[in-house]
Amino acid sequence: MNITGLSGGYGGPPIIESMNLHIKQGEFFGLLGPNGSGKTTLFKLVSGSLKPETGDVSLQGASLLTMSPVQRARKIAVLTQETNVSFDFTVEEVIRLGRYAFQKGLFKMLSREDRALIDEIMALTDTERFRDTSFFRLSGGEKQRVLLAKALVQEPEVLLLDEPTNHLDIRHTFDMLNVLKERQKTQGLTVFAILHDLNIAALYCDRVGLIHEGKLQETGPVDIMRRSERLSSIYGVETWTQSHPTLPRPQLLMNPKKQDESVISLHESVTVEADRNLVKISSPKPLRTISNGVAGEGIQWIRHIANFHVDKQYSSRTPEADMKAWLEKRSLPVEQSIGLMTAVKTEMAVIRKETINGIAFTAVVTAGTGNAVDITYDGPELEREKIGTINTFLAVDANLTDGALVNACMSAVEAKVQALRDEDVRDPQTGTPATSTSTDALVIAATQQGKRTPYAGSGTPVGRGIGRIVYEATKEAVRADRRWKETHA
Amino acid sequence: MFSNKAWLYYAGSLGLLAAAITLGLFYSSVTVPVPHIVHIILDKTIGFHLLDDVPSNQYSIIWEIRLPRVLLALCVGASLALAGAAFQGLLRNPLADPYTIGVSSGAALGAVFVIFFQLTIVGLGAFTLPAVSIVSGFLTLMLVFGLVKLSSRSLAIETIILAGIIVSAFIGSIISLIISLGSQDEMTQIIYWLYGSVGMRGWSYVQLIVPFLIIGSVMLVTRYRDLNALALGEEAAGHIGVNVGRGKVFILGGASLLTGAAVAVSGTIGFVGLVIPHLVRLVTGPDHRHVLPISMIIGGAFLIFADITARTIIAPKELPIGVITALIGAPMFAFLLIRNRIGKGKKLA
Repeated sequence: MNITGLSGGYGGPPIIESMNLHIKQGEFFGLLGPNGSGKTTLFKLVSGSLKPETGDVSLQGASLLTMSPVQRARKIAVLTQETNVSFDFTVEEVIRLGRYAFQKGLFKMLSREDRALIDEIMALTDTERFRDTSFFRLSGGEKQRVLLAKALVQEPEVLLLDEPTNHLDIRHTFDMLNVLKERQKTQGLTVFAILHDLNIAALYCDRVGLIHEGKLQETGPVDIMRRSERLSSIYGVETWTQSHPTLPRPQLLMNPKKQDESVISLHESVTVEADRNLVKISSPKPLRTISNGVAGEGIQWIRHIANFHVDKQYSSRTPEADMKAWLEKRSLPVEQSIGLMTAVKTEMAVIRKETINGIAFTAVVTAGTGNAVDITYDGPELEREKIGTINTFLAVDANLTDGALVNACMSAVEAKVQALRDEDVRDPQTGTPATSTSTDALVIAATQQGKRTPYAGSGTPVGRGIGRIVYEATKEAVRADRRWKETHA
Repeated sequence: MFSNKAWLYYAGSLGLLAAAITLGLFYSSVTVPVPHIVHIILDKTIGFHLLDDVPSNQYSIIWEIRLPRVLLALCVGASLALAGAAFQGLLRNPLADPYTIGVSSGAALGAVFVIFFQLTIVGLGAFTLPAVSIVSGFLTLMLVFGLVKLSSRSLAIETIILAGIIVSAFIGSIISLIISLGSQDEMTQIIYWLYGSVGMRGWSYVQLIVPFLIIGSVMLVTRYRDLNALALGEEAAGHIGVNVGRGKVFILGGASLLTGAAVAVSGTIGFVGLVIPHLVRLVTGPDHRHVLPISMIIGGAFLIFADITARTIIAPKELPIGVITALIGAPMFAFLLIRNRIGKGKKLA
């Protein structure tokens, strides 16, 4: 489908101005833009509801503007947000209306092929169940499915959608778009959709166009939605782009107006308690964390970090479930907690609160080195002990980007390795200097206060601070572990 | 072509119509036996003599008075019911009817004008009356639509009715003005005509309406698919291939033609176009393929029954037929309006 030099509006100054757009056959094209950007006007110009002032819309070379309504209806079907049907038509009668442009002969009856097609589409859209039900009696989602069926029995080459999922819940939205995606794949249906929900558009569209003030600002694959400054300026809302966790598609996150402006003091507000069961760190305000904890892994907003002491013999196939139970037993909300475990005596945890270069840091380290490993060892697989682990918690009063969180991890690990080396911890199997234990855990937490910084490596005050405090705390924890082993040998 | 059920609708409604016609011919102060009626009709139409001893006064009662009266009622009822069904379908408005949207008043103004000033347009002759009625009815419709467009963007149900009432009131005052310019005698005559009646019109009035009934019903009945599609709204109807502009011209034109011709021969008979399509839809469902023709049949039968009631209920005096239809129609209109509000336009049969 080709849109060339298209302009049009409602009598006054044109709302759409000399627009050019090419939509490939069989593609799912999403038109995005804020309210009043001209989306619906463009849609009306393309669907033939509005006569353009200049320009043309053509399908495979044939101009749609000169076609009769019947000819056009055989090529293009339309589904809008909400259509009221007056009078008490049944679902099947409404769907049959989709064959209007195909009925032939003096009496314009439905042929056997028409009926077969209607049955097929009704099965596809799961509308058979209410074939003889009154259209009025259906819920919003069911109505939309019926209208989708009506559009599909037109056997269109192009399906135009104007925010068809506007009033639908997530399930109905996905059901509908899945049917369309299926149709696109099996029948080569071209879909040109106005979509309100940017994240839905990012999931389903092959290409998207961003329209603003009657002009196409950008067109391209969904990845253009990663240009969050562009979206922010068009929509006037701060947006962040993230990757979908399982699909190679972007998803957008929006910022409301600043809500929580309260500032906490890291050393005073974030509490650390250690006893023989666990080390518990709690913050009144969620901290941005990155960790490899048993619970709360990845990047999260967390208020509690619990490092549980477990028996040397502890072995479980379901550590996540155990962890959840332990957190719940302590009345710690699982969704806002990171859970770690260690065989080390938790009352021996090293807790350090320091201010380095004007930045507040808190480090909590529990270390056992019976299981120390030289990561550079490249011999045959060794039988290793499973107990003894170094769990490092590091909180910093800084505002870190995701990249800076990774930087912070690197800084913390570099410091830990140096501490092990200086304490001469060795891999008991190889006798070489150890770099870690086989089950180390790390939690970096940031208060996200102050100026946002993308760096926390060794070249920055934050990184150097992390290095220093983690180095000192790790050394102290290793020494404590040694002392305990000597006294209990 | 039709389902069994559909055949049943047609058989039932035609049976009702046959009963209405028979009763209309038979039931009156002077009783003419049914075999005589059949004989007279057969004799007059195909020259077939069924019986021998039919008195000639019965000939004139049946052929000159009752039959044209019954046929006129049939034609007027069919016209109004079909026009009502078409207006309702086009406007997606269950309360629309030639009377409620003002077309009847407009047509009446045209008719009063022709009757009062004894106009004859050269070349039209006796057809001046229906022609002027149709044109003034159509112009009134445009006026009502104009008013609706100016007052709100959508063709909302209540807005159309309101505009129809405003225009009707205005036109009513013009008619009153014209009437009051005339003599006492003319005044009574025209007022009585305005209430609507199919009596004392004779064959000439049947001849006046039949051509318009044929043209109008062909224009509308052939558009049944468009009317069905318009249930989706004009824009969505366009998307499935309806030439909405042309369809609207045909439907509004056809409905105005029927209304104008009906008003010209019988005065303003209200609510037939409102009540009949509703009752028909309750039975047949909303498919205009059946709603339109069956509304015609039932509308015809209904007006014959209404006429029988009008001329017998206070016999020997006659009630205007419009009084009967309004007595039935106005409460029904109120009921529909209330139901419409309650159901938010949802449960419109």
